[in-house]
Amino acid sequence: MEPRFFEAFLMPYLVVLDILSLTGIIYFCMLPKEQKANTSYWLPLVILLFTCFFENMGAYCNYNTAFNKEVNAFFGNTENPRYNLWLYNIANKQISTILYLFLIKSWLKPSKKKYITWMLVVFISVAFYFQITDIEPVYSFQPIIFAIGANMMVIGIGLYFIGLITDETFLNSNPLKLISFWQMTFLLFTYSLSYINSIALEFFLTFNEDLGRSLIQIDIVLGVLTKIILLLTIASPKLPKLFEREPIYGFS
Amino acid sequence: MDSVESQVYIIIFSTLFLGGIMSTFVISMVFIHRQRQAQNQQKLDHIKSEHEKTLLNIENEIQQETLTHIGRELHDNIGQLLSLAKLNFGSIKPEKQEEGKNILSQAIQEVRGLSKQLNLDWVESISINEFVAQQLTKIQNTGFCETTLEAEFDLVDLPKDQKLVLIRVIQESLNNAIKHASPDHLKIEMRSIDGKRQILIKDDGKGFDSTQKSNGSGMYNLKKRMETIGGGFDLTSVVGKGTEINLTLPN
Repeated sequence: MEPRFFEAFLMPYLVVLDILSLTGIIYFCMLPKEQKANTSYWLPLVILLFTCFFENMGAYCNYNTAFNKEVNAFFGNTENPRYNLWLYNIANKQISTILYLFLIKSWLKPSKKKYITWMLVVFISVAFYFQITDIEPVYSFQPIIFAIGANMMVIGIGLYFIGLITDETFLNSNPLKLISFWQMTFLLFTYSLSYINSIALEFFLTFNEDLGRSLIQIDIVLGVLTKIILLLTIASPKLPKLFEREPIYGFS
Repeated sequence: MDSVESQVYIIIFSTLFLGGIMSTFVISMVFIHRQRQAQNQQKLDHIKSEHEKTLLNIENEIQQETLTHIGRELHDNIGQLLSLAKLNFGSIKPEKQEEGKNILSQAIQEVRGLSKQLNLDWVESISINEFVAQQLTKIQNTGFCETTLEAEFDLVDLPKDQKLVLIRVIQESLNNAIKHASPDHLKIEMRSIDGKRQILIKDDGKGFDSTQKSNGSGMYNLKKRMETIGGGFDLTSVVGKGTEINLTLPN
């Protein structure tokens, strides 16, 4: 194998993601049948595996530049064929946001689920429209699409917190022992802390690349922390001392 | 400081500011949740103490009534029987002696019956249906009015505290009907509608305008007592057309 291959695939971030995904699969296999069928358990695994897949795909694009060039050319980018932005946009900023919105939806009361459904419809439509009309091409920076997605995430998380403080079913629970609370908190921090630097990414990479790359680390660290929480969600039935049973399960 | 540098600082500070806002938001949510939990606990404690207070009041009322009843029985019934027995034993005639013995046995039985009423254990041994039937028979025996009982179900599964409250409310409702309505007919229906069990106490007495606010606390107390056990109390009355009390039982 070429040293470039190891360089691309053995980055600490990728190794951590691979380990988390593998552990997630093991814990998921240990779940009883009815819990495997519960959205609150299989959706975190899907997100974990999808993240692992697209990050490895990114590594592969860095390794196989010819493949990356072909995909970029397919999307109409012939100027910067080495860029991975198409994958970053589609997977990390669009599909991941959609999956996280579904995750938020699974924690809401049926009366509030419809708001997320509408957000999903609007987000998918807007993202699709902006890309086919080249307002924000898929191979370029997409601050507007990301901003819309992040705003919807924050609103969805807000709906969860409103439910937490108003719903009778949460009255007997300790929020600090609820996995849904930690999921929402980490998602809130991930999306709010990376909000400005994701929107200003183009600016940073143009005027202060070093700082831009440093700020991307915030995204990476919070991303890993969120994935750890997703792993803990799958493992939560095995950790009854750490987490309480979710009162909202009755709604789904 | 050039414009690019100042823009970088603005972006960094904005990010930190957003992070601060989010942290404050999450901490506030936890804090509000804790406060709600504390308020809810206070509410539950209040309901519990109200429930205990109501039960204690009801037990006291029942005991007071029992004592009054026993005093009356001792004076009017057992006292009379013992006097009669004394008279009979004073006679030298053997048939009078025999009659005296019979009266004494009757007095002993009456005393046994009374002693059973001294504690509240009878509440556990009697069903609501039996209690209602006893009360109606007692009223009918006085010749005050005609009574009817129609029961669709047997109420035997109530816990003691709920049974105590229900007994007291039924007793009080019947007393009110006798005291204020002067009915010719008193009817109690025990029926089940949409899975909800109800006890209807109907009389064809004088009635009153139930839409007008009452000054007394009697009805309010009955309503509150039913609510304490998770039930409901509803009263409708029309002048000249009698009164209907609807007691909804807890599930």
